[in-house]
Amino acid sequence: MSAVRRWAALTRRELLKLARNPAAIATSLLLPILYLLLFGQGFNFSGLLKASPFLNPTEQALLLQQDLLGAPDYFSYFSAGMVGFVAVTATLFVGANVIFDKLFGTLKRTAASPATATDIFGARLVAGSLQPVGLAFLVLGLALLLGHVGLSGLHITASVSVLGALEVVLSILLLSVMFASLFLSLGFTIEVPQTYFAVVNAINLPVLLTSAALYPWGSMPVWLQSIASYNPVTLAVWVLRINFFGDTYYKYAAWVYLLGLLAWAIAMFTIATLLTRRALAPKR
Amino acid sequence: MPDAIVAEGLSKTFNGSVKAVDSISFIVQEGEVYGFLGPNGAGKTTTLSMLTAVLGPTAGRAVVDGLDVFHQPHELKQRIGLVFQESTADQDLTGRENLELAAALFNVPVRDTPTRVAYLLDRLALSDSADRLVKTFSGGMRRRLELAVGIIHSPRVLFLDEPTLGLDPQGRAGFWKIVRELREETGMTVFLTTHYLDEADGMCDRIAIIDHGKIVATGTPSQLKDRVGGDVVTIRPSGAAPGLEAALRALPNVSGVTTQDGTLRVKCPSGESLIPKAVAAASSLGVGLAGVSLRRPSLDEVFLEFTGREYREDEGPTATDRAVFLTRMQDNRRGRR
Repeated sequence: MSAVRRWAALTRRELLKLARNPAAIATSLLLPILYLLLFGQGFNFSGLLKASPFLNPTEQALLLQQDLLGAPDYFSYFSAGMVGFVAVTATLFVGANVIFDKLFGTLKRTAASPATATDIFGARLVAGSLQPVGLAFLVLGLALLLGHVGLSGLHITASVSVLGALEVVLSILLLSVMFASLFLSLGFTIEVPQTYFAVVNAINLPVLLTSAALYPWGSMPVWLQSIASYNPVTLAVWVLRINFFGDTYYKYAAWVYLLGLLAWAIAMFTIATLLTRRALAPKR
Repeated sequence: MPDAIVAEGLSKTFNGSVKAVDSISFIVQEGEVYGFLGPNGAGKTTTLSMLTAVLGPTAGRAVVDGLDVFHQPHELKQRIGLVFQESTADQDLTGRENLELAAALFNVPVRDTPTRVAYLLDRLALSDSADRLVKTFSGGMRRRLELAVGIIHSPRVLFLDEPTLGLDPQGRAGFWKIVRELREETGMTVFLTTHYLDEADGMCDRIAIIDHGKIVATGTPSQLKDRVGGDVVTIRPSGAAPGLEAALRALPNVSGVTTQDGTLRVKCPSGESLIPKAVAAASSLGVGLAGVSLRRPSLDEVFLEFTGREYREDEGPTATDRAVFLTRMQDNRRGRR
């Protein structure tokens, strides 16, 4: 009971801090919003393909669907990718907060209390994983809205079932847990904010560029497809795309990709728990 | 009276070579206010960190409130209170929220929490600002909040690590007044570290003087002052003073004379009566004097007596400082790799 109370109190703290720092939320949203408003609008591949004089409209549509794994246009394809990617950008603050708590002494205070390393890590993980789910749905809402104001927007062509909606939520949540664990383990291990942000940047961009978040699958080199198939961001956005645009072009059902994500989340959670315990143990 | 803290051969070496604490042993009795007095880097905070299970020792053992510090850290943390020298309250939370969080972490019963929080806010004169974010608090308010957080669970042993560092004299006096009152009300044991001599003198039942990681003297403030041997007359000759030390030793009631950097320190029961005799002795030897001063027994004198050097509250980097610096450098390098 006391462990649950400690967890609840520490999670409340994290959520209160988050609510009092709207700048962090805005910064997390900035990158995906810029991608949607600038990059996504300019690179709508459907327009480029339709301009080809060598293909009839049916062939164009088929080619496009193959390249985009069933998505009606590039923006729809890519905005599903952005919804997944926001989980990565939003969770990086979880690790940064650990470093700032070390610098301001707050972590020292918590570590000197009866709270265990599991309590301290767990509370941050819960708060840090819930926030990206909320942000992901804000990005999803914006992508849908853009289609109704005369811009390229997300067009969901499949009918999303209740189970499908759950799969979408679960995929974002698992991706958030995985990256929150990763960034928390970095936060507990690294002492200097500059080092942390350098490492995070070295992770984020390769993760994004080796995933199917931006890249049209059909145009991706085979070697890159092999890498991207195991990228957790790819697995999450595939679950989204299967539910938004249908599963015609996918090898497996959404739950298989969810299992892959679960494996990633469990692996990263385990590593992060061990590193956090080590970091919070009395210094020898 | 049972022992609240027992330390036996406690040592801490950083980076394999820098000895911050060197095999210290001491006992603090229940209900006692015990002070660790020493300059910056003497090993005070390192000792306190080991006693509170924040830092593991290189050697030795410690028992606090009957619990083995290094084998029962979780149980220990429930029974002790700790006030750090820096502010550790969450600045993005209000004073009340910080206390509520601490109450949950230290297992204060849920039904008692609002009453306990309200009591401490009132007791530490923080009620009016309880719902303000801590980042808007003054230095004195932050220190009082730290104390409130440290005692939220009514600990049996309270550790205070230089808790008044950076406070003005008025703030320091107010802080210690509250600690003294709380201690009288609850009877808790208090272990404090300080480099302010007046604080140690005014607050502590017993004091250990620590220097370069070793305890050089322990006792009540009056015992320590007695060991200095009464008043100290400091005589500063204006030039060479051959034979002056011997002449001073020969004066009646002089219990000791030491010379440091040409200045002579004469210990005696009554400084006022010695000064005219000492001046006459110097005059008869033809030694000119640049100054004569009388110091009543104080912890400054005690420190000088046992360490052989003047007490300075702003001493430069020492073993611990260097060790911490080296550790941080290594962490930074590891972070870069």
